[in-house]
Amino acid sequence: MTADLHAEAEFLDVARTAFASSDGEEALRSLGWWELLAHLDDPELRPAIYAVFRAQGSELGSSAALGGLLAQPYLEHTDRVAGSVMSAIRRRSKTRGVVWVVVGDPADRELLIDRPGAGATIVAAADVSLRRIDVPGRLPLHEIQIDVDVLPSTIDEACAATARERSLAIGRIAISLEILGAAEKALELAVDYAGQREQFGQAIGEFQAVRHLLAWAQTDCVALDSTALHALRLGDDLPVGFDAVVKALAGRNGRRACERSLQVLGGIGFTTELDHHHLHSRVLALDGLLGTAASLSRELGLSLRTGGRHPGFPSALLLADG
Amino acid sequence: MSALEKVATDPLHDVRAYAAGFEHWLAAPPDSLRAATAPLPNYADRVSAMAAMMRDLHDAGWSRYGWPEESGGLGGTILHRGAFWETLSRHHVPGMALFEHLEILAPALVAMGPPDFVSQALPALLSGQELWAQGFSEPDAGSDLASLRTVAVAGDGGFKINGRKIWTSWARYATWCLVLARTGTPESRHRGLTAFIVDLRSPGVEVRAIEQANGTDELAEVTFDDVHVSDARIVGHLDGGWKVAMHILSHERGTFAWFRHCFLYQQLTDGLEHGGADSDAQLGDALLDLAAVTTTSHAGLHAHAADDPLGPKAAFTKLLLCEAERSVNSWRYDLDADLAIGVQDDETAMRRQEYLFSRIVTVYGGSQQMQLETIAKQTLRLP
Ligand SMILES: Cc1cc2nc3c(=O)[nH]c(=O)nc-3n(C[C@H](O)[C@H](O)[C@H](O)COP(=O)(O)OP(=O)(O)OC[C@H]3O[C@@H](n4cnc5c(N)ncnc54)[C@H](O)[C@@H]3O)c2cc1C
Repeated sequence: MTADLHAEAEFLDVARTAFASSDGEEALRSLGWWELLAHLDDPELRPAIYAVFRAQGSELGSSAALGGLLAQPYLEHTDRVAGSVMSAIRRRSKTRGVVWVVVGDPADRELLIDRPGAGATIVAAADVSLRRIDVPGRLPLHEIQIDVDVLPSTIDEACAATARERSLAIGRIAISLEILGAAEKALELAVDYAGQREQFGQAIGEFQAVRHLLAWAQTDCVALDSTALHALRLGDDLPVGFDAVVKALAGRNGRRACERSLQVLGGIGFTTELDHHHLHSRVLALDGLLGTAASLSRELGLSLRTGGRHPGFPSALLLADG
Repeated sequence: MSALEKVATDPLHDVRAYAAGFEHWLAAPPDSLRAATAPLPNYADRVSAMAAMMRDLHDAGWSRYGWPEESGGLGGTILHRGAFWETLSRHHVPGMALFEHLEILAPALVAMGPPDFVSQALPALLSGQELWAQGFSEPDAGSDLASLRTVAVAGDGGFKINGRKIWTSWARYATWCLVLARTGTPESRHRGLTAFIVDLRSPGVEVRAIEQANGTDELAEVTFDDVHVSDARIVGHLDGGWKVAMHILSHERGTFAWFRHCFLYQQLTDGLEHGGADSDAQLGDALLDLAAVTTTSHAGLHAHAADDPLGPKAAFTKLLLCEAERSVNSWRYDLDADLAIGVQDDETAMRRQEYLFSRIVTVYGGSQQMQLETIAKQTLRLP
């Protein structure tokens, strides 16, 4: 386990450097990520595949990685290869109803749109009208502007249904890691600042009130890190509902870590002088995709209360698999 | 085939096989287990019920997994113990009631205690016959443990201990106490401490129960007046008590959370009938807190199983456990107005005890503020 952790940490460093020094698409190419993606079922390679999301979060990178990952479980029902298709995400807007979004730039790829009940369809991005919206947090999204319900289905409902469940689970874990990356970076900014900024003749990091805020933010991150990596290690043995636990924890703890860091940064944190606002907004935007912390917590509570279903159990399983 | 079905047959080398075997055995549980699941708000009753159950589980061998053979166990690792208590929690045993020291003190005794003594003492603890207390805190030494003043002076083939310990959980029911005493100069702080095993039946020991705010009385004050202890009852080395204390605290903060949180899960599931749609979000939130404990303490168990203890990182697990204790109990409290009023029946009385206890967990084993300081210093490296 320790050796794995080292390998994970090393890959994460490499991925961070790649995202810090080049554009997201270029970073993925240089990391050989699309080739790795085809090996999603390989437990040895899985941590490296997901580390990219954490790096993307901390470096505020943007790429087609999420869409590509989400599409992966569907590909066995098609003749497409990893990286050629990006899956769109369905989200619900209070004012506009169902909206389909693609994270990152689809460029010349195909889009996979999975409509529960009606199977999935694959169309060339060039053939649909897309509206780019620059979400705060340096996260380019594209909204699909056509009525997707009229498109013929490429993957029938039975096949799509199995892929759908898996896609949602892996997507939630990937987004959670991206949230973690962004929250960790926001905390890093605040820790550095606490060591430098002086008030009352001393570094503010010497004040216990400040130290404890930062320690709580770190605890938020550690809880998320541990839970998300645990999910990766469990792989196919992931208990039903655990992906929702990870994503809810990510939304909740990610936001909390950003808020705590913001408090330590004081006024400057609320400006565009520092990257904190980008990181914070990235966390908020990602909280909004594939289930917010608020909605998922409620669902988890509901399913435990009415079905007795408990994603943490049986844990003898968790115990045995390091 | 799901991973759970892939159960091999060797309980010693496969924790899942062990868990499955124990579960199978529990299909016809001993009467003592049924008795221990009853709500027993009177602490002395709970102690006897638990001791009787532990005796049966020891005699049947289940509690001996996870402990080395030379200490009276059957071999295996802390993961076996994790599965043992998790299984009991699912069978509605409400908590570890004073067997907590199996997961706080006992690992240090096994690792650093005098082997002859431990090979007798561990089976006696496992079978509920001779219980333990931890004598660290003093009236003037709480968070600042290294300032403690109980002294042990050499002479007569041993040491004479004088001083006063407080908040010594379960001392009233215990035969043995692990006492941290000063063997160095008064200024020696953590460098001049030694861990002694003291027989609480010795002349000069006085144990006074302390009644607690939640109505139980497991805490005690223990005074030592010229109490003799032989050299052979030192754990670790002379003046090496801090290392023993840190070993114990690393378990109390890092791995104990696993054991404790199994019971918190059960408290949630046992209270579901009180819930409603308007509290689902709160319930889900408590599940998130528990999941964070599951995964961090799981990592702690594996680290300890691999002989690579957590050290300062245990502070995170401790903080997360406290959060989970609070959120689970807040959910139960918010759903049941009877808890606010107090004692109507045994079940409510127990829940209220648990609720109030969840409000002090941020103090024992090193307070929340001390854990935050550890993180600020050791992980964040703040000035
Ligand atoms: C239920 C329970 C069971 C216990 N069982 C045992 C046992 O079996 N054996 C044993 O030896 N002890 C036991 N203890 C004692 C426990 O370890 C101490 O209570 C704990 O170490 C805190 O010490 P104190 O109570 O003296 O509080 P203090 O140290 O006086 O602290 C009081 C408050 O001040 C804060 N504080 C102190 N110093 C600082 C600082 N430097 N910075 C910021 N805040 C600070 C603390 O966080 C706390 O909030 C138990 C306690 C409880 C509540």
